Parts: sequence; C-alpha cells; structure tokens
Amino acid sequence: MTIELRNLKPRYMSESEVSGSDIYLQPSLCFEQGRKYMICARSGHGKTSLLNFIYGINKSFDGEIVLTENEERRTENELHTRVLSFMFQDLCLFPELTAMENVQLKNRLTNFKSDTEIEQMLDALLPQGKKHQLVASLSLGQRQRVAAVRALCQPFAFLLLDEPFSHLDHDTAAKVATMINDEVEKQGAGLIVTALDAIDFFPFDVTFNL
Amino acid sequence: MLRKLQRKTLILAQMVGYELSLLVGAAIVLLSLQLYCDLKPLLTNQTDVFKAHTVTVSKNVTIFKTANKENLYFTDKELKKLEEQEFVKEVARFNSATFNTSAAISFEGQRMSTEMFFESVPDGYLDIQSDDWQWDSTSDFLPIVIPEDYLNLYNFGFAESQSLPVVSPALLSQVTFNVYISGNGKSKVYNSRIVGLSGKINSILVPEDFLQWANREFGAVEDKGSSRLLVEFNDASDERIAEYFKTNSLNINKSELESSKMASFFKLAMLFVIAIAVIIILLSVILIVMSMSLIAQRNREMFINLHNIGYSVNDISRFYKVVISITTVVDLLLAVVLVLWIRGLYIDRLSTFFQTGGGTTPTLTGAAVLMVLLLVVCNLFTGLVIKNIIDRQ
Repeated sequence: MTIELRNLKPRYMSESEVSGSDIYLQPSLCFEQGRKYMICARSGHGKTSLLNFIYGINKSFDGEIVLTENEERRTENELHTRVLSFMFQDLCLFPELTAMENVQLKNRLTNFKSDTEIEQMLDALLPQGKKHQLVASLSLGQRQRVAAVRALCQPFAFLLLDEPFSHLDHDTAAKVATMINDEVEKQGAGLIVTALDAIDFFPFDVTFNL
Repeated sequence: MLRKLQRKTLILAQMVGYELSLLVGAAIVLLSLQLYCDLKPLLTNQTDVFKAHTVTVSKNVTIFKTANKENLYFTDKELKKLEEQEFVKEVARFNSATFNTSAAISFEGQRMSTEMFFESVPDGYLDIQSDDWQWDSTSDFLPIVIPEDYLNLYNFGFAESQSLPVVSPALLSQVTFNVYISGNGKSKVYNSRIVGLSGKINSILVPEDFLQWANREFGAVEDKGSSRLLVEFNDASDERIAEYFKTNSLNINKSELESSKMASFFKLAMLFVIAIAVIIILLSVILIVMSMSLIAQRNREMFINLHNIGYSVNDISRFYKVVISITTVVDLLLAVVLVLWIRGLYIDRLSTFFQTGGGTTPTLTGAAVLMVLLLVVCNLFTGLVIKNIIDRQ
C-alpha cells in the first residue's frame, strides 16, 4: 500500500509559511509500505496536522491524499482498525478507565491481541501494578507508553506516531521504540514518525523536514 | 468496556424526567383513545342516550296564523331554501291525511268512538322497530304508531286522577280497535292495533304507502303541503342552525339539539385532551433529545476519542439508543397497564347504560403505534446528535 500526497497544504497556513517544506506543496510524494519515515519540524509547522490529514480526521487541507485504490474504498472505521494505526500526540486515552482497559477498549474492535499479550506488553513498559490503575492517576510518560501499546493492538499497513517519546527518558523511549519496531517489522508495515528533532531509535529510510 | 465508560455519562434526573413525562403523556393519550372508542356507540347515536341529529320543525303558531291556517304550511320555495342550507343533510315531510278518520272500540257492549287524524313520515325516520309496521293493500289490518307521551299522559296523568288501571306498552299493543275512513263518497273499515310508541315523533302515524294510497282514494284533491318537517343535520352542534331557525321564525325541538351538542362538545373536549397529551409526549421527546445533546456536549472529547480509535457513530450511540429504547418500551407498557386498570374501573359502570365498543384494541394499537414512532424518532435523533458532535471535531 502507498500513501500519495499531491500539492498538500493546510488551509490555515499560507504558502510562504510552508515554502521550503519537503512535504507540503510537493506535486507528488509517496509513502510506501515497509519503509520508515521521519518527519522533523519545529513547533507549529503542521506535524500533527499532516498525520491528522493522512489519518482522515482533519479535512481542512488543499491538495490530495491518495491511498492505494483498493484501500480507499474501506469505511473510515475499517481504515482506522485495519489499515492505519495512530499514536496521537494528545494520546486520546480515557482517564476513567485503567491502563489495561484503555488498551482492551481498542483491542475489542480488532481482536488482534490476547489479554495475556496485552498484559505482557504493558508489564514490559510500565512499573509493577500500574496496568490496573486508572489512567487519570498515571504520569504523562506512563500514559504515553499506554498509548503506544494501544497503537500496536491492530493490524496496520502504516503506523503513525506523533511525537511518541516527548515525555520519555532515553532508556524508556528506546524500550518503547524496540517494541514498536518489532511490531512494524512483523506486520511489514510502513512507519511515519514526527518529532521536534531527529531521533535515532528507528532505522529510518527517509527523513523529511516539514 | 464501552458500556462502563458510557454508563457514567447518563444524566439520571433527565432520564427520570423523560420517563415520567412520557408515562403521563402516553397514559393520557391512550386513555383518551380508549375512552373515545368505548363511548363511540354513544357518540355515533347507536344508543338512545345522545339521540339523533334529526329534529321536527314547524312554523310558529301566532295569533295571525290562527285565522289563516295556510301560513302554517311550508311552501316549495321554503322547502328548497331549507334543503340548500349547508348544515342540513336531508329534509323529509310529514304527510297528513286529507280524509275523515274515526276510531271505535267496543268494550263490554259499549261502543266508544273518536274522531282522529293520521300522518306519516318516511320509515327511516321512525324510532320503532316492529314486524307489524307494514301495510298490505289486500289486508284489513292497519298498524298505528302513537307518541310515547300519550301513554305517559294517560298512565301518570289521567289514570292516576281517575283511579283507572295503568297500561303497559305490551298491553296496549294487544288492544284491537276499528278505524273508519271515509271521503269522496267512499268509506272503509280497518282492524287496527298500536304496534309501537315513538319517543321522537309527536303524531299519530300510519305507514307512508298506506297514507299515499288512502289520500288518493278518499282524500281531497288539493294537497296543502306539509306543516311539519323532519330535518336531519350533518352536525347538530352547528351554530348556524339555531340562528337560521330563529330568523325564519321556525319552531324546533331544542332539547334534541342539546344532546347532539353535548356529543359534539364531548368530542371536542376529547380532542383537546388528546392534543395536550400529544404536546406532553412531544415535550418528553424534546427533553430526551436535549438530554442526549447535553450528554454529547459534556462528553464531546470522549466521543471524539472513541471515534478516533476506530469506533463508529453507531458503536458509540448504540448504548444510548438501547437505554432510551428500553426506557420507552417499559414506559409504554406501564402506560398500557395503567390505562387498562383505569378502564376496568369505569367499564362496568358504562356497560350498564349501553353496549360499549371495541375491547382493549385501541389501547394496544395506540401503544404499538406510539412505540414505533417514539423508537424511530428517539433513535434517529440520538444517532444524529452524536454524529454531529463527531463531525464537528
């Protein structure tokens, strides 16, 4: 599967604001399944917007985003549970549920992992006993790890990570990255990661400056 | 998991508000419907409680008309004018006998005789049902109907003051007497019997076909027309009726109109109550839609997050739809039980007056229709409200 961007530009940004971007306003830019992409930019340059455009939850852009034909016919929900997985910058977790329940809520839709697998993944990233605590009581870094685990609980052709390690120390980030990389490799998926500065946890094929 | 998340978003007070207002609204609508159907025989004149849209009309007898009786008859023009009125459904004439009539009865060797008169009206207007009410030109039998009031006058007035025995309608119909008619130099004797008592028509009646034949045979050539008419109205509560008869100096039996008016007022009151109940139901629907809207506003972020991780609008709204549907169905069942219980309280009393209509079908059908409508409307709005919130992200 490929994701092709044609002359893409957020409506709320002027042409001068996006001039010099490797991505915005490019006549044709392709993301290919199986390759890893890094997108770097300073704050406010439209990193989150770009991933939201691709994920289909923000439509205020000019230009075109073309997913490979047979994938395009899927419904939005199928797209979000079978094709694209997204680790949101604001995490989109439910504070009223525990860490485990948050992941299960997603897994219920996809039936992709068993409860034991989910527990193992959470145990590997969270301190002992945290998986059954309400997300409201977890630190931001811990929540980020829960969101990462949740993003892996579905089949995907592309995994979108929006500043995934912003609240993690280097060692924890490395652990999370290894888990993510293993799943991406296993599924033969593409990876698109945004960050403020270049990160070295993944063997990126291409790095773009937004 | 989803249910656990969404259960906390329900606003209990508003759900209870919906439940109560819907219960009250539905119970009133269903009860009105049930009551209307139970009372239908009464309202459509199938009983004698609110009788008839038909009245007897005559001209007012004034001092000027005493001398000139011709003025009491309706002219063709007057008849046509009356028939053309919008509130008039049908006009029928009283036919009068134009020959001499007397009746005689022999009792213990004594013969009593009296002069009398006959009139006739079309059979459809008659409020008696008797197999004997038929005239056969080859037979000597002539059936007669007299006003109920005559018998009452005798029983409660004359017999009381003269210490005479009272007569029952059944006994009266056993008495046979002779009727002599003559005119045009011819005469004939008939065996006669009173076959019925009319509460509606204040006259001595014979079958119409007999009167027409006898008028031709024995009567005067000149037909003076009718001095009394039977008028059937489309709607007896029509205000123009009283107005018309007053301006045309016509005499009308008002008490008969009153009962018809009462039936119309009753229908109107019933409609009014149903209208209010429908408004209550509408308000309850608005309440639940507003409540749903408030839930969606309050939990906007949760709904958007759910949608972002792959839940469809249907998945998200399903819980609310199920809760509202169950509440609605339970509420309507409660309303049905309540209405049937109330019906049980009044139905025995009503059935002593008249044959009540239709059973419990109106309540059950009404509840089923209401249920389908409410489920469709509530589910539709719930889905729309949630879709709206998610689409606006």
